[in-house]
Amino acid sequence: MESPENTGLEFETAEKIILRWDSTAYEDGRDRMIFEGDRQEVDRYLQAVDEIQRAMSSTSISDDQNKVNSAIQVAMARLEDEFRNILITHTNPIETDSLTDPSSSVHSTSSGTGGADFEDDTNGEEEEEEDSSMSKDGKLRRNISGVSSVSSSYRSTSSIREIDLISSDAIFDLKSIAERMISSGYLRECIQVYGSVRKSAVDTSFRRLGIEKLSIGDIQRLGWAQLEAKIRRWIRAAKVCIRILFASEKKLCEQIFDGVGTAIDDACFMETVKGPAIQLFNFAEAISISRRSPEKLFKILDLHDALMDLIPDIDSVFECKSSESIRIQAAEILSRLAEAARGILSEFENAVLREPSKVPVPGGTIHPLTRYVMNYISLISDYKQILIELIVSKPSSGSRYSGDPSTPDMDFAELEGKTPLAIHMIWIIVILQFNLEGKSKLYKDASLPHLFIMNNVHYIVQKVKGSPELREMIGDDYLKKLTGKLRQAATSYQRATWVRVLYCLRDEGLHVSGAFSSGVSKSALRERFKAFNAMFEEVHRTQATWLVPDSQLREELRISISEKLIPAYRSFLGRFRSHIESGKHPENYIKFSVEDLETLVLDFFEGYPVSHHLRRRSDS
Amino acid sequence: MPATEYQGSFLGRISIRRNQVIAMDGNHEQELEDLELFQKHVADRFGELLAQPSDEIPNDPLLSIAWLRKLLDMFLCCEAEFKAVLIMGRDPSQISKPPLDRLLPEFLDRVVKALDICNAVSIGVDLVRHYQKLAEIVVSAMEQRPLGDGQVRRAKKALTSLVAAMTLEDGSNTKSTERTWSFGRRGSGAVANKDRAAAQFRSLSSTMAKNWSASKQIHAMSSNLVAPRGNESSGLALPVYIMSNIMVFVMWALVAAIPCQERNGLMTHFQVPRQLAWAQSMIGLQEKISEEWKKKEKKGCAGLLEEMQRLEKLGQSLIEFTDSFQFPIEAERLEEVKVQVDELAETCKKMEEGLVPLQLQIREVFHRVVRSRTEVLDVLDQAGKVSAPSM
Repeated sequence: MESPENTGLEFETAEKIILRWDSTAYEDGRDRMIFEGDRQEVDRYLQAVDEIQRAMSSTSISDDQNKVNSAIQVAMARLEDEFRNILITHTNPIETDSLTDPSSSVHSTSSGTGGADFEDDTNGEEEEEEDSSMSKDGKLRRNISGVSSVSSSYRSTSSIREIDLISSDAIFDLKSIAERMISSGYLRECIQVYGSVRKSAVDTSFRRLGIEKLSIGDIQRLGWAQLEAKIRRWIRAAKVCIRILFASEKKLCEQIFDGVGTAIDDACFMETVKGPAIQLFNFAEAISISRRSPEKLFKILDLHDALMDLIPDIDSVFECKSSESIRIQAAEILSRLAEAARGILSEFENAVLREPSKVPVPGGTIHPLTRYVMNYISLISDYKQILIELIVSKPSSGSRYSGDPSTPDMDFAELEGKTPLAIHMIWIIVILQFNLEGKSKLYKDASLPHLFIMNNVHYIVQKVKGSPELREMIGDDYLKKLTGKLRQAATSYQRATWVRVLYCLRDEGLHVSGAFSSGVSKSALRERFKAFNAMFEEVHRTQATWLVPDSQLREELRISISEKLIPAYRSFLGRFRSHIESGKHPENYIKFSVEDLETLVLDFFEGYPVSHHLRRRSDS
Repeated sequence: MPATEYQGSFLGRISIRRNQVIAMDGNHEQELEDLELFQKHVADRFGELLAQPSDEIPNDPLLSIAWLRKLLDMFLCCEAEFKAVLIMGRDPSQISKPPLDRLLPEFLDRVVKALDICNAVSIGVDLVRHYQKLAEIVVSAMEQRPLGDGQVRRAKKALTSLVAAMTLEDGSNTKSTERTWSFGRRGSGAVANKDRAAAQFRSLSSTMAKNWSASKQIHAMSSNLVAPRGNESSGLALPVYIMSNIMVFVMWALVAAIPCQERNGLMTHFQVPRQLAWAQSMIGLQEKISEEWKKKEKKGCAGLLEEMQRLEKLGQSLIEFTDSFQFPIEAERLEEVKVQVDELAETCKKMEEGLVPLQLQIREVFHRVVRSRTEVLDVLDQAGKVSAPSM
């Protein structure tokens, strides 16, 4: 039990020390910081504070209480300044240069001691993510080094990695200050000062990461190509933000405030990161609500994938009750992105169905729509892992007996056992064909539609075969249907073009059977030759300008033409040439030798017009 | 959860298309009735908001937290009804005909601005919570007994920060927050306090895009708002006009109440024709709020939120008290001060209880508006304005 005099003396000494360091007084207490100076000074000061606090509980005389309270206030105000100063001088924004866009001109402005660099294990920028975009000619450019799974090549940002933002000595000091402030009832001031300094530091790091502040209006107005670049940057930055920046701040709060009171570290943490976190997520949210159009699908999926990957870490970093809103927002954005992906797919299907271009593509070649669609769904099959989770319902607008002539029918029952995504893929091919059928009717020529269909279906088949994922989804059953269609179109083409040509080479009608002689009607024969020549020339002239881009298909077609044409002509020539050659001007009727025809067939489907002058190599 | 609920309407959208064309004659009557009802409900709801508090019906003061929450509730109701009138069961082609083919895109543009305002105001609410916390320091200090020099100085420090922060002009934009770095040394003088408050405010408000301005957004939202005339006034152009006005009003009221980025020149004059029945109460509210705004704008205010006004008033008064404080304090003066401190505590309590729910409500408004926008876009697309894939 201390004697009143001793207690009084200790209090006086303590009070003197406190008052000496009064921030508001005009003494050198203002110009120096205690915690930057002599360690003994620090200890003395803290002891003085403790002494005053003890005095709080023991005095009951009102006057003394006033003195004590006054001293406490002076001490707390001082400690607040010291706290702020320690935080500021020991804070460095995280060096994030290696992850920022090399074209940005932000340079580091770190100050003070105790740099907190974080090692980046990667060398330069590795573009691991897909860079898929649609260019004007409908082709998809792909600069991929790997498939869709965003690999963790950034070892530093694939999982939470906290950094020590402040040295442990400083933390010790901060802790000793915080304890005293809080036990004196100055909790709010402590949180305020902590929050304001740390928030600045986070803001600075944030800016370095290149996350722009864009309003939703801004984002709606930007072109998609620009947005793709920003999304890419955002994905990289978000990983750093959540796994390193925010996680480290949380750790710092725990280091300083853990055990000092209830949930104070949570309050400080939220004070520090709430603003930046909202700003971070607002960008992703704005993307998730932007107007839907097909070319956006893949970047939206990238974003979805990245965010999904981050959610467990978001939940862990923001686990306290007061940061619930952030967790919720992240989940909402994820959901919206999924919704957007579904909507875009549906949009895409509608667009394919209703694509209205009415100008027939010259030469019956592959329609740009076909290329676009097949490239698109090939890319979709690359994203199969993600999309298979997201696409959960069948296409809604096709069903047998819909009675709607503007949409094709498809019996989904046949596709039992297939994933909804696969059904969508098949459906897209179905509606593509449906649209192409409509376009094929725009050709005036009777044969060209079939060639057109052949070209396009063949392209579809090639594309499906060329992508194992796509092939697996489409399935060999449907693939068989497609090749059947191809064959059908080939047959129709044959029929439309060659039946009448070969008709000229038929036997019936040439023989005049009489009672006494069986001979050949020379006039009829001449007519036949003339007709054949005219038709063949016409067909040759026209169909040379038609195009079958695929060399193999082109070959096969020519061969199938030759197979029918050449033997028929050879046989016809063989049987009847003598009748013509025995008459006048055989060259008017026999224009082509068999070799001629063989050569001319090679002109077919090259896509070039040929001169009217046909070589004559035939010997009379 | 609002956003996940929306998953359902992916199919719902298709069902709108499938669910037939409504025969004009059969349901035309119904349509007109719905429009009438819509207008009546709007008028009623705004009437409630305008009503003066009286002894029988204790109403929330204009632009208090509770009043704002009611406003947002009312907005959600109107919005739901609007959507029903405009979209449900309707053949998409009706919505893409003139004049809607022009009016709806304009409406959607307003919607996007409203979303940004929701975000800005939500950030502003965080700033208000910051004021609340400063005020709570004051309360905590001034409730101590005996009230001594220490507590009063503590209160004064917090009060100075509070008042400085609240009388700042909020146009200051993205000045580098690096200024806070230099504060370590200069202790706790009044100037430093003000600078600290300024820096805090700037860093809070700089979360919005750089040149974004709340007042400009509001102005843009209302600039092409023209009352439908002639035979347009009985069709769907009318509910679109009404809802647009409601949206502009609600956003405007939020911006007037809560500090957010760049409110200089916030418009105070609206062009709603006075004779429209549904608009009477709304016009009344506009006038009242405009008056207040004009008064305060001269002094440079942080916002018209009633609780904040109270904080400001009490803050000024309490600063005066602290300036003239002498220990020990007479019982009479203590009583006087206690009344004010109690009022301050009461206001803080209202803020503590109301601000977070307010933020949640703003978020709900955000969700709802996004959902409606998507649905309108879907219907417009169905109506045949399909963009061909870029080829």
